[in-house]
Amino acid sequence: MKYDDDTLMAFADGELDAAKRAEITAAMETDPELARRIAQHRELRARVAGAFSPVLDQAVPDRLVTAARGATAPGATQRRGEVVQFPARGTRPPGLPWRGREWGAMAASVALGAIISWKLLSPADPLVTASNGSLVARGALASALDRQLASTQVEADPVRIGLSFETRDGHFCRSFQLRDAGTAGLGCRIEGEWHIPVTTEAATGDLRQAASPPPAVLQAIEARISGEALDPAGEEKAREAGWDTTRR
Amino acid sequence: MEENELAGRMIHHESMTASTEEIGELIVALLPRLRRFARSLSRNQHDADDLAQVAVERALRHREQFRAGANLASWLFGIMKNAWLDDRRARARRGEVALPEDSGEHPVVTPADTSTSLWSVSEAMNKLPEDQRLAVACVLVEGMSYKEAAEVLEIPIGTLTSRLARGRTALAAALSDERVGAAP
Repeated sequence: MKYDDDTLMAFADGELDAAKRAEITAAMETDPELARRIAQHRELRARVAGAFSPVLDQAVPDRLVTAARGATAPGATQRRGEVVQFPARGTRPPGLPWRGREWGAMAASVALGAIISWKLLSPADPLVTASNGSLVARGALASALDRQLASTQVEADPVRIGLSFETRDGHFCRSFQLRDAGTAGLGCRIEGEWHIPVTTEAATGDLRQAASPPPAVLQAIEARISGEALDPAGEEKAREAGWDTTRR
Repeated sequence: MEENELAGRMIHHESMTASTEEIGELIVALLPRLRRFARSLSRNQHDADDLAQVAVERALRHREQFRAGANLASWLFGIMKNAWLDDRRARARRGEVALPEDSGEHPVVTPADTSTSLWSVSEAMNKLPEDQRLAVACVLVEGMSYKEAAEVLEIPIGTLTSRLARGRTALAAALSDERVGAAP
């Protein structure tokens, strides 16, 4: 059986259906030339992917984090007018109409929040990871959202749970605050995972005021809540049901 | 009646319009991938970060065009593709960059780029025509399926696979040339 190069490329890229894959895999065993061509495709793929993959592990420059949060960074919109336009660097021709220099200056005013929140995503021990374009709680944050009750938590807990409530579309959400990371947010239980639709800066240290979430989180709660927040008994019941509104 | 009213008001989480803040946080989580994609299209990491920044800012300015529930990464990669092509056009108009196919220029090597594998693959990528480079960046660098890559690049799958095949052949040739050239 002869295979054209497009088919072998698709094989190396994992684009063939199971039957075709099995057929080619079997043919490779008796056809060294076919095996060699496929190995070449695979090697090239691995080499190109491997060359750029270290970029994933590099620290992301603050200016990009700031740009991503740009439109909502606290104070950013008010301060924009005051931002000094930096002179273009002589070594580089004027490129795209960057607003990068403005963002760079702006970064100074909001960098604190950006850096602190970035800790959430640190590769070493992430509390939040991206999954299919959505942020999902991991590690200590996920277990606190799973198990911790606002009524019984203690000062030493690294995660402080605020309000728990049911949403209008039939999920449970819980607001939280991280003691050390200066970050508050909302976790919503959807299909067995705690999705994080919002995070925001929060005061570090003293969490006695954590019962009142920061404005951005409150806003997110108000946009979702159905009825009232759960009382301690309701919270415990929801935990027993595994935070699944259909199992109560 | 009540049930109907409830159903009417029910908003499925995934289809809820994401707030600007939510999109911002999701973009933050995608920044490592956006930087990698940008790096595979650019000559060095500095240019790549400039490109990523332009794409992110453009995405936020046009966030109302993002359909909630759609794949945010694909949407952003598509925006970056357009930003990259715009930048290439603008530079070509200013005569800053000769078209890569007929230029003998070498990419700028910054200290962060000196890893030979990144350098040599990046140099080989730079020699590819734009359409092939985009196809290679989507499928080989980002690991997208053909379907997703075709969506990001806004081309039919058949066009994607033929560009990808030509890009691969040219890349393999450039990389083996370099290996021969490096031999003593």
